[in-house]
Amino acid sequence: TTGLQVSSGLQDLSLRDRGGRRRDFHDLGVNTRQAMVHVQESKTGFSGRMIKLTTNHFRLTSRPQWALYQYHVGYSPEMEARRLRSALLFQHEETIGKTHAFDGSILFLPKKLENKVTELFSRTRNGEDVKITVTLTNELPPTSPTCLQFYNIIFRRLLKMLNLQQIGRNYYNPSDPVSIPNHRLMVWLGFTSSILQYEENIMLCADVSHKVLRGETVLDTMHSIHSQVGEERFRDTCAKELIGLIVLTKYNNRTYRIDDIDWDNNPKGTFRKSDGSEMSFVEYYKKQYNIEISDWMQPVLISQMKRRRGNIQGSVALIPELCSLTGLTDKMRNDFNMMKDLAIHTRLPPEQRQRELGRLLSYIQKDDNVQKELRNWGLSFDYKSVSFTGRVVQGEKIFQSGTMFDYNPQFADWTKETRGVPLIRAVPMDSWLLIYTRRNYDVANTLLQSLFKVTPSMGIRMNKPNMIEVDDRTETYLRVLQQRVTPDTNIVVCILSSSRKDKYDAIKKYLCTDCPIPSQCVLARTLSKPQTIMTVATKIALQMNCKMGGELWSVEIPLKQVMIVGIDCYHDTVSGKQSIAGFVASLNQPVTRWFSRCVVQSRGQELVDGIKACLQTALRNWSKWNKCLPSRIFVYRDGVGDGQLNTLVNYEVPQFLDCLKSIGTDYSPRLTVIVVKKRVGARFFAEIGGGLKNPPPGTVVDTVVTRPEWYDFFIVSQTVKNGCVAPTHYNVIYDTSQLKPDHVQRLTYKLCHMYYNWSGIIRVPAPCQYAHKLAFLVGQSIHREPNLMLSDRLYYL
Amino acid sequence: MDKNFQEESTQIIKFEPPLYKQRYQFVKDLVEKYKPKKVADLGCADCSLLWMLKFCSCIEVLAGLDICANVMKEKMHTLSPLPVDYLQPSERSLTVTLHHGSVAHKDPCMLGFDLVTCIELIEHLEESELKKFPEVVFGFMAPSMVVISTPNSEFNPLLSKVMLYRHPDHKFEWSQAQFQSWALETARCYDYSVEFTGVGHPPTGMEKVGFCTQIGVFVRKYPQTGDSLQSEKPTEAVYKTVFKAVYPSLKDGKYLQNAVISEVIFTAQIIKHRLMLKREESGDDPERKSKFQPSMDCFPDYLGKLVVEKNMEPFVSGNEVYIPLATIFSFPKVNRLCGTFEKLCKLIAGKVTLSSDGSAVMLNIEHENEEN
Repeated sequence: TTGLQVSSGLQDLSLRDRGGRRRDFHDLGVNTRQAMVHVQESKTGFSGRMIKLTTNHFRLTSRPQWALYQYHVGYSPEMEARRLRSALLFQHEETIGKTHAFDGSILFLPKKLENKVTELFSRTRNGEDVKITVTLTNELPPTSPTCLQFYNIIFRRLLKMLNLQQIGRNYYNPSDPVSIPNHRLMVWLGFTSSILQYEENIMLCADVSHKVLRGETVLDTMHSIHSQVGEERFRDTCAKELIGLIVLTKYNNRTYRIDDIDWDNNPKGTFRKSDGSEMSFVEYYKKQYNIEISDWMQPVLISQMKRRRGNIQGSVALIPELCSLTGLTDKMRNDFNMMKDLAIHTRLPPEQRQRELGRLLSYIQKDDNVQKELRNWGLSFDYKSVSFTGRVVQGEKIFQSGTMFDYNPQFADWTKETRGVPLIRAVPMDSWLLIYTRRNYDVANTLLQSLFKVTPSMGIRMNKPNMIEVDDRTETYLRVLQQRVTPDTNIVVCILSSSRKDKYDAIKKYLCTDCPIPSQCVLARTLSKPQTIMTVATKIALQMNCKMGGELWSVEIPLKQVMIVGIDCYHDTVSGKQSIAGFVASLNQPVTRWFSRCVVQSRGQELVDGIKACLQTALRNWSKWNKCLPSRIFVYRDGVGDGQLNTLVNYEVPQFLDCLKSIGTDYSPRLTVIVVKKRVGARFFAEIGGGLKNPPPGTVVDTVVTRPEWYDFFIVSQTVKNGCVAPTHYNVIYDTSQLKPDHVQRLTYKLCHMYYNWSGIIRVPAPCQYAHKLAFLVGQSIHREPNLMLSDRLYYL
Repeated sequence: MDKNFQEESTQIIKFEPPLYKQRYQFVKDLVEKYKPKKVADLGCADCSLLWMLKFCSCIEVLAGLDICANVMKEKMHTLSPLPVDYLQPSERSLTVTLHHGSVAHKDPCMLGFDLVTCIELIEHLEESELKKFPEVVFGFMAPSMVVISTPNSEFNPLLSKVMLYRHPDHKFEWSQAQFQSWALETARCYDYSVEFTGVGHPPTGMEKVGFCTQIGVFVRKYPQTGDSLQSEKPTEAVYKTVFKAVYPSLKDGKYLQNAVISEVIFTAQIIKHRLMLKREESGDDPERKSKFQPSMDCFPDYLGKLVVEKNMEPFVSGNEVYIPLATIFSFPKVNRLCGTFEKLCKLIAGKVTLSSDGSAVMLNIEHENEEN
């Protein structure tokens, strides 16, 4: 147990991010628009009707001729400790002033010192004389990237002054928590904030954020897992439920991610301190924080520390008893009741959300210290959010077997309109299996009868299935599959008693890899309510049809010879070893059929190499279907983390181009690469009838709150029942299509209509959602690439 | 050779752990020994001693005073409660306050303390301030115990590069005799006893030099005879409060109630969960049965008891599960929080759904079925 570091002390506010990382979360300085000539003048669309919107952005203003002065601070003799460097420098407050930000070597001041180089003399406690040289290195205009970084630091300083607690990247108000005792949860209200250069102004984008905290320690959770699953599955279950979670510790204000559990260690174990001496955890916590660890048999949690600088990787050992859990586990997310109880507190409708935000701004406005700090830096905020005009593009027409439908734009859903209408392509179910346990015999029959009722109007021809009764054991299911599935089987339907994942995983794994046949698992409980059975059966029939290669509906796609690609990633948080990229590409002109593959990649490998291979096979398949190669390719790239844009632009896009080049020297299709981001801070509100409402689906925003250095836009495509709708951000990072921005926006919106598991408009273009579904299935259940025999069907829906 | 320092060839003495840490540890040990409830640190600077002391579970009131507000403000947020302090409020109450002001001035907020520490403070005082200092600390504040540390000038020749004083802001540095005579005189004057010690041992063979940091521990001889003395004290506040943090504590009714409600509902749900499992065991899932073989149980004793006392057994009636409050009260966590059964009833009244006679917690079965 050597080489472990125990977390200690508190990180000061610094110009670096906490943990020494200087990560560019906002992808500052990635300027992609300058390379695209056709959007130099304008990147705005024109179609649709105008709509008045407000947002959660607030203008930052500075006094005229404002500049930030950046100095380098050198010490002679060299001083190592940052704390000491600060102390020595601030002995000269009369020279440098009371307002400053210093990270140990870079000093920011709101004023210019008299000379370019200032020499100061300090003395350490040991009586050592130190010469400090403060050299002006930069005079930063308000819009420089460094300045933006600086504003963000100052703003976080303000939140701290308001006594908000930092958890992770955001700040929360601890004094007025909402507690949900049913689930042992506590919700803190807080704020996310970022200050960036937008189209015309530097603005603060602030949003209400909720932190779910849990009133139990990791040790408590381990105890309840033990009492639930018993000794045998205890360790596995702990790993599954705990690894990847973020914990808070009892003794400092830092968050750690649980990366591993060391079962061979315990609080009596020792670690090597920075001075080289060995000490046990029990001793350390007693000595450092006066904390008595009561359970000496508990294992030790391991958290990896990723440090950019020098690639030093260390790990921190944490004691379960001293760690509190934050956030939700997947298990909790699947708990309908819990999510319902939470939603009451976290899904704020537009009016309320803006009101909470208004509260933050009034704190800022009213706090004297905060105002003083802002004044000293010469900064201030507009306390009224920015208003502007957006556009609502017209709804799409839905085509299904020669019939055309309009949907109600308010609901963005055509379930009712298309009910009982034949599908574009209905795949017959001539030979299929229905597997169930004895207990679910009645349910199985109910499902069957209902399917017989709903399928004829869809145009699906259905024979009686092979009904197979099994006992509820995974091995039995697998044996039956091995014996009864034939190459002629169209689909296998399994009715499961519980949502136990191991059974589901085993069935999916077998039918996706060894024996490539589409499958449909249904929970018995879903079929048990008579009042919803027809709706459920309809949905299952449609889903099965897609899994067998059927097509449901289409929208008009005006572009010819176009291939549309969607990519999304799944990162395995449990084992932390695998990342999976789902890759989905259209196969036909109306984009109703898709080619799907995935890349399973272990740690350290580059996903893009696999994606390149996928693109190659996708092009081959497209040409098989269309007897030529596509002349236009659109790639919708989802699953890009904050700060990864640079890698995408400089590495992934060139690889795409490389791949296209390799197809043939005379082949040069037009390529458009669009980064899709669902998690964005921006929120839009429509000003309707004096109140704030969610903007209607089809709302496009491409001014004011977009970024000048990008060819980007927002689309609100979906509707939400409660809470605030989140717009999706699209960033066109590469484009040789020569299409007008309006057309790219419209195409994107059209694609949000094409996801067959939902007869309505979704948040992202359908290929991204398909890619997500595929990657999720593979990452969660299959863990290796599914059989390519299935690749022309949506078998993973 | 003494363990506390390494002597290098250049005669530079470096203390390990560093001397400032040894001074803080000295105070911490003293706190552990005498368990004061109210502690004030005069000249608290960047609050690092206060930060260490906030982890000492005997302390309920912690105060800092410094002449420089900026240096206090820099790190004062480290004294705020942590998120976990809100999640799991502690038994003890703790209030941390920082004041901006001078040790030469009296302020009633400094009254009633058990321990006052002045670590490396007096040598920063101007002559006029030093003159007033004993009257303010010993005469006015009059805590049970005072700790004063200051550099020992006799040690200076052993330190590298010390010119006149160890720090440019020092107004003086005293020899052992100087410090001791000042301390003895002060103690005599205000009815305190004083003992001398220090941290930072001198090298072997040079013991007469004394500790690098000399420390005087003053103990008030007579317990304060309260009222008559108090009445003479000025009530006018001259310090400016720059920071105040009240830690969440179970002594605060709001936090206690939240903790009890949360624990009651959680306990009730565990019991319900077990009850439902027992009822479900007749199902046709063979894997399920083996899954719940009793193994290390969280609450084996308490469930055992249930069988014995019939009226404590949870039961199902219609769509509801009833869990008697008496059962919930027998769980150690609930028991410890409430103390008495009456208090339990009072705390959860109107916050937890109870049976019509108020004797049992009522939970819906439906909830459980949808959970999977």
